[in-house]
Amino acid sequence: MSAGHVLFTILFVCALGFFAANIQRLIGELQLGHTDDARWNDLPTRFGNFLRIGIFQEKIFRDSIAGPMHAAIFWGFGILTLGTIEFLLGGVIPGFSFQPYFIAPVYAFFALNQDVWAALVIAAVGMALFRRLTKRVKRLQGAETHPNDPLLILSWIAALMITMFAYEAFEMVAHPETLTPMLRPISFGVAMAFSWMSPSAAAVAHDLAWWTHGLLVLGFLNYLPYSKHLHVVASLPNVFLSNTSGPGPKGVMKPMDLEGDLEVFGAKDVTDLSWKSLLDGFACTECGRCTSVCPAHTTGKLLSPRKIMINVRERLESYAHAADKSTVADRTLLDGYITEEELWSCTSCGACVQECPVSIDQLSVIMELRRNLVLGESRFPEEVMPAFESMEQRGSPWAFDPGDRGKWAEGMNIPTMAEMAERGERPEVLYWVGCMGSFDDRAKKTTVAFAQIMQASGVKFAILGQEEKCNGDPARRMGNEYLYQMLAKDNIETLDKYGVRTIVTACPHCFHQIGNEFPQFGGNYDVVHHSTFIESLLAQGRVPIVQELHGPVRTFTYHDSCYLGRYNDVYDAPRETLRRALPVINLVEMPRSKDKGLCCGAGGGRMFMEETVGKRINVERAEEALATGADAIAVACPFCMTMMADSVTSRDANVQVYDIAEVVAGQLRT
Amino acid sequence: MKIAVCIKRVPDMDVRFKIGANGTSVDEAGLKFDISDFDGYAVEAALQIKEKANAGEVVVISLGADNVQETLRKAMSMGADRAVQLKHDAPVFDSFAIATALAAELSTGGYDLVMFGRMSIDTANQATGTMVAELLGLPIITAISKLDFDGGTVKARRELEGSYELVECPLPAIVTIDEGIARPRYPSLKGIMAAKKKPLETKPAQVGEQRYTLDKMELPAERAAGRIVGEGKDAVPELVRLLKEEAKVL
Ligand code: SF4
Ligand code: SF4
Repeated sequence: MSAGHVLFTILFVCALGFFAANIQRLIGELQLGHTDDARWNDLPTRFGNFLRIGIFQEKIFRDSIAGPMHAAIFWGFGILTLGTIEFLLGGVIPGFSFQPYFIAPVYAFFALNQDVWAALVIAAVGMALFRRLTKRVKRLQGAETHPNDPLLILSWIAALMITMFAYEAFEMVAHPETLTPMLRPISFGVAMAFSWMSPSAAAVAHDLAWWTHGLLVLGFLNYLPYSKHLHVVASLPNVFLSNTSGPGPKGVMKPMDLEGDLEVFGAKDVTDLSWKSLLDGFACTECGRCTSVCPAHTTGKLLSPRKIMINVRERLESYAHAADKSTVADRTLLDGYITEEELWSCTSCGACVQECPVSIDQLSVIMELRRNLVLGESRFPEEVMPAFESMEQRGSPWAFDPGDRGKWAEGMNIPTMAEMAERGERPEVLYWVGCMGSFDDRAKKTTVAFAQIMQASGVKFAILGQEEKCNGDPARRMGNEYLYQMLAKDNIETLDKYGVRTIVTACPHCFHQIGNEFPQFGGNYDVVHHSTFIESLLAQGRVPIVQELHGPVRTFTYHDSCYLGRYNDVYDAPRETLRRALPVINLVEMPRSKDKGLCCGAGGGRMFMEETVGKRINVERAEEALATGADAIAVACPFCMTMMADSVTSRDANVQVYDIAEVVAGQLRT
Repeated sequence: MKIAVCIKRVPDMDVRFKIGANGTSVDEAGLKFDISDFDGYAVEAALQIKEKANAGEVVVISLGADNVQETLRKAMSMGADRAVQLKHDAPVFDSFAIATALAAELSTGGYDLVMFGRMSIDTANQATGTMVAELLGLPIITAISKLDFDGGTVKARRELEGSYELVECPLPAIVTIDEGIARPRYPSLKGIMAAKKKPLETKPAQVGEQRYTLDKMELPAERAAGRIVGEGKDAVPELVRLLKEEAKVL
């Protein structure tokens, strides 16, 4: 064993030890967080996510330029890591190589891949550096980011590749007898360029390159834990551990245990967040994809979901590093890092969660912080107070008389559950109307239309009438878990009283809430959104509609509701419903549609708050819809209806906004 | 400063009422109850006084059956320190009888300031606070929109039509609160949980003699639907006739 090997072995062991210590420090930091839901359950989904989103970079490819670039670096890194293992072992054990352990073609394949991928990585890194240095890519900008870190990392990776080629090539020059041009064609090419060197000079150059490479590898390993490129370590575990509960790409909101003796309400500081949210902070690459799709951010509000995650990590590190906790106690995540204005701008649209390539859940952090503001501090925009009070007093965020809830149905011969129960009957489905559908004049038209469709199709249904209450979604999304649980439990009691099993509703918020979040409190029902329900009625030929095959062709564009689309993956049913009802329809898509759809601006309780900063989100969306040239806009949510109708009619009075149920009802045979 | 706030449990006014079977009460089925609006302002004003001084005590008092405990808890969840229920199961309509019971309780409490809402939003008599002041022999300033203290003096502002007046009197005193003084806070969950542990004392109410009784309650007549008499010039004579004979406005 040469002195070189001894020295390298010592360095290697120190580097590994240092890295291990750093990882342990990071795990210790995660342990400052709260416990979380089970994260080791549902393994098939988790491995699926790991493969799709992690290994195959599914979400990375949502950006057609950065996607291939990153994938080349990521896959290259994975493959080159095998080479690096061989390299490191060679540094410790004289003359070590994988070659004797594999049959020749396998080793040849391995060696060839090292060369090819290293070249690909250099190309991708070059592109990335060029892009960062010459083009101000919008999503990569932002006061919260650390712009020099990626430059350092990219250069570091380039240096790793270059030194690798260098030591391979100089080895070939120094030992021409071992030449294997077919195994490492690119290294061979480089070697040819240096063939003028004497073997002894090449041997010195080889050693130099080898040691530089070795030090760069060990240095890289130990720089990572301090860099935003910690995502190299944290993102794969993060993808594996990400939410699996509920349909759609993200989970439902976590219930709070309100019975126990709570000390903190929601989260005020990083130590109140779950360890998974803290891991999210480690995994964030500052890529800005979330912020670039955030409806609040893109219309000029202060909120940036990326900043939320960066703040989580910054605050965690400053908290964890302070030996004397009292020096950091005068600030919290909510005091000095994230402002209330940011938190209240969120529409809970889920676009950030959808877009994040490493499956970070920014929304949970926002919601936990909102909970603290409302439940702990009673601090929220004052416009919200009447909605809270009314939900509590009258079971609806608007001050309507609960006795009028079923008024829209007068004269329509629609029974209530109570009436049916009295007659000893049971409906096929319960029609859950929701507050908007019951009280809002525009939404009531949708309500009536959907009821007419069901009547015409012979569906035996009933409503709850004045026994129905707000499902609590606005309260929950505004952080008022206490009020939410009160409403949810009341509703579950009513539903269970009648033994309700199947529920249809025209409101995606009711749909999501009752179907996905009521199970947290023992309410288990089959909930179907009216888009799916009508589509299946149409498919079964149960709806008596006039099929106008020769009428004027109407151009529709469909606006996706966040709670139907991103939250529940229902994209096709509403579109299919339109196609079936209007066979000659011309359905055009907006640039941002389906899981990239832009929120209408009403979710997350934003419906009840003023929107004074920046451009109004519904205006932005209406302009996008009108730009398609459609003569009608279809929605499948009463909240979207209000927001879209408000902004569309004031811009182009000729364009109508319809709920899909209205479109179908308009075709009913009379 | 030791402050008492007298609060009343009233039904939510946005819900349609039904008259109970006995014809002298409101059918409570389906109604929601809360602190009367002006009393809520009074609680908030009291809490702000205490918070500003960083000292003192706010006691809420309500007269009624056990269901007022919920109303008292709500006031405590906003931040009041403790509560007293003056228990009386039958409804009392005579303001003087109520004032007598409240005065009996307040006289032993050693309060510097007693606050009422300007009126209750259900019966709107605007009488109880004033009567309590008279019974206790204390000065009273009614319907105030702003409140300040200077040593042992309370300074208040009263809104008048198009102007206002500033009034002061020595403590102890009674004030009744108009809206606009302070928006009642929304109880935080922290407050709600703390309220469960705060003391709520129940005592029999020493209700005075009830000199008036409620005879009958009636809902206002439903407004008749509008009628279209006709269109154009020809309808004018008929319209004039109806305005003269039926509506009697001409
Ligand atoms: S949920 Fe929507 S509004 Fe909220 S931060 Fe994410 S992208 Fe922005
Ligand atoms: S949270 Fe995700 S999408 Fe947003 S900047 Fe971080 S890594 Fe990118």
